[in-house]
Amino acid sequence: MRVDEFRQGLRNWLDHHDLTPPPDDSLDAQVAQLNRVRGALWAAGWMRYGWPPRVGGLGGSGALRAVLGEEVASRSLAEPGIWSMVEVLVPTVVDYAPPTLAAELVPRLLAGREQWCQGFSEPGSGSDLASLSTRAVPDGDAWVVSGQKVWTSLAQYAARCVLLARTGGPGHAGISAFLVDMDHPGITVRPLRTMHGVDEFAEVFFDDVRVPAHRMLGGPGDGWQLAMDLLPHERSTCFWHRIAHLYATLDRLLADGCEADADALGAAWLDLHTVRCRSASTQRSLAAGGRLGPETSVDKILLATAEQRLFDTARDLLPGAVELAEDAAWRTGYLYSRAASIYGGTAEIQRNIVARRLLGLGKE
Amino acid sequence: MDTAERDLLEEALRKTMTAAATGASLDTALADLGWTQMLAEAPDTAVPLVFRLLGETGTQAAVLNDVVLRAAGRPVGGTLPLPYAGGTWVVWARDGATEASALDPLLPLRRVGTGEAVPLAAGRRALGWWLLGTGHAMLDLAREHVLERHQFGRPLASFQALRHRLAEAHVALEGAEAALGATDDDTGALLAKAAAGRAALTTARHCQQALGGIGFTAEHPLHRHVKRALVLDGLLGSTRELTREAGALLLRERRTRRLVDL
Ligand SMILES: Cc1cc2nc3c(=O)[nH]c(=O)nc-3n(C[C@H](O)[C@H](O)[C@H](O)COP(=O)(O)OP(=O)(O)OC[C@H]3O[C@@H](n4cnc5c(N)ncnc54)[C@H](O)[C@@H]3O)c2cc1C
Repeated sequence: MRVDEFRQGLRNWLDHHDLTPPPDDSLDAQVAQLNRVRGALWAAGWMRYGWPPRVGGLGGSGALRAVLGEEVASRSLAEPGIWSMVEVLVPTVVDYAPPTLAAELVPRLLAGREQWCQGFSEPGSGSDLASLSTRAVPDGDAWVVSGQKVWTSLAQYAARCVLLARTGGPGHAGISAFLVDMDHPGITVRPLRTMHGVDEFAEVFFDDVRVPAHRMLGGPGDGWQLAMDLLPHERSTCFWHRIAHLYATLDRLLADGCEADADALGAAWLDLHTVRCRSASTQRSLAAGGRLGPETSVDKILLATAEQRLFDTARDLLPGAVELAEDAAWRTGYLYSRAASIYGGTAEIQRNIVARRLLGLGKE
Repeated sequence: MDTAERDLLEEALRKTMTAAATGASLDTALADLGWTQMLAEAPDTAVPLVFRLLGETGTQAAVLNDVVLRAAGRPVGGTLPLPYAGGTWVVWARDGATEASALDPLLPLRRVGTGEAVPLAAGRRALGWWLLGTGHAMLDLAREHVLERHQFGRPLASFQALRHRLAEAHVALEGAEAALGATDDDTGALLAKAAAGRAALTTARHCQQALGGIGFTAEHPLHRHVKRALVLDGLLGSTRELTREAGALLLRERRTRRLVDL
């Protein structure tokens, strides 16, 4: 299906199917809403476009998924951060999981019957992910996993986890990836409080958890490559959704009667426009079959900068909306924007990558 | 124009520009390469190519006149008053520089009393490509320098503070290039020039710092690009003015235009 056809059809459908979220911004309600929206979009077919038939999809370009997320974000039907987990995890599972496993499990996520989470970061390994120490040891037809993950978004709701664990020696080459069922004995999830009050992430403890051998994604030692392959997905389709969400946020700022500071508003728009143009060109090269690599760090830096500037502008031009207003409409978004330069690789790590890989400045 | 033709053209243009041709003699050389015809027949290829190369090679020619004249539906080859920051007007002379811009003496810009409104989008896009090229010229100079020069027994390029400055410049230039490549209406051109002006000024600041004392001398080429960026930023509206104009548009329309789609 062509992108404009898809967009038009989807808009018509959404105009006639009311998926407005309930007036409850708790995380439970957000996750329930996410499942409701996905369920409806899956049943109507929209959620299947852009995914291969072997996981229940209807095929077509990934741009269709970008457009779907854009419409969902523009209408504020689901929070784009939790929506995006699909874009982060599914392409990787499609590429790395045994085909029957992917065919069985992926549709559950797409159809809103399950949540999944991404277990990469650990207490001792954040930016330096390759130093991770959660271990997986072979034992018969299973791997026995022990260790701890942290900042794992949606772990408390998740049925599965894409997990990185060490199966070999130190460094990148010793890391493998698994698709783990979260109801295994030995897994403990402890939700963490966040500063914006939407407690989206958790600590996850693994105590001698037996993971069947066929749940390994790729082969032993492929974990780092999987993590690297995952990033470009995180930074293409998902970013398009987040950008749409930020445009809707700028519209909301104008609608809320902000101070008429043309300089500040223009600067916020300029940042959004720039990252939208950049992201559009990234989506095009992905659609043309290009492999995305370190150049997506540019998209990441532009997006984090644009998001933080937008919410700084909102705080400046709607005095008190963040600090004093009863409703959390601006407070939550403002606070969450502080994390934009942390999650998915910090602002500093992105600049390290640009310097090393794109500018060829050699080692630090 | 196909890719092979475009590459050939780029090579010919770069050769002409690096053969020290600049100003009136570059205008003549560009005419010989078919500039007028290119502008008429393939402006979407010719304008980005020529203007970006002017920036990269640090040369100059009076071709902005042609871009604006063409957009105004007037015959190319002459000059016309062009708006400059602060409500002033300038003319980009073609007669071998009787007078020059005070800051960048190689640019034959002189102030004039007044002018009449002309369509600006095409000229803004062209200047945006020029600013992008100027930015890349500065970043290349800084990059070479930090790789070569050692302090404290290691290359400057190994210091993270400098790496991050140059990364910042690269990101700004990449963002500007995306905005330039995506524009086809007036607002898109306005935002693209603002993005390019901002990127060039950001790059100037970081590269100046990375070059240390040598970058402050008149012997090192950096200063020419820095000055060019400053002068071109003001032409047809500065980054600051264009950003404010974008904000005023938001306040009028109460909705943010989505100028690019998938
Ligand atoms: C809202 C949110 C959701 C998240 N969701 C998930 C998730 O679902 N799954 C998951 O696995 N992880 C998740 N994370 C974790 C995230 O990926 C990490 O927080 C991030 O990679 C940084 O790691 P860290 O917190 O350990 O910080 P550190 O790595 O300790 O960094 C602290 C500071 O030091 C700087 N620093 C570190 N190394 C360098 C260096 N080499 N050069 C310069 N500066 C450096 C960093 O830039 C940062 O400013 C989430 C984080 C947040 C905030």
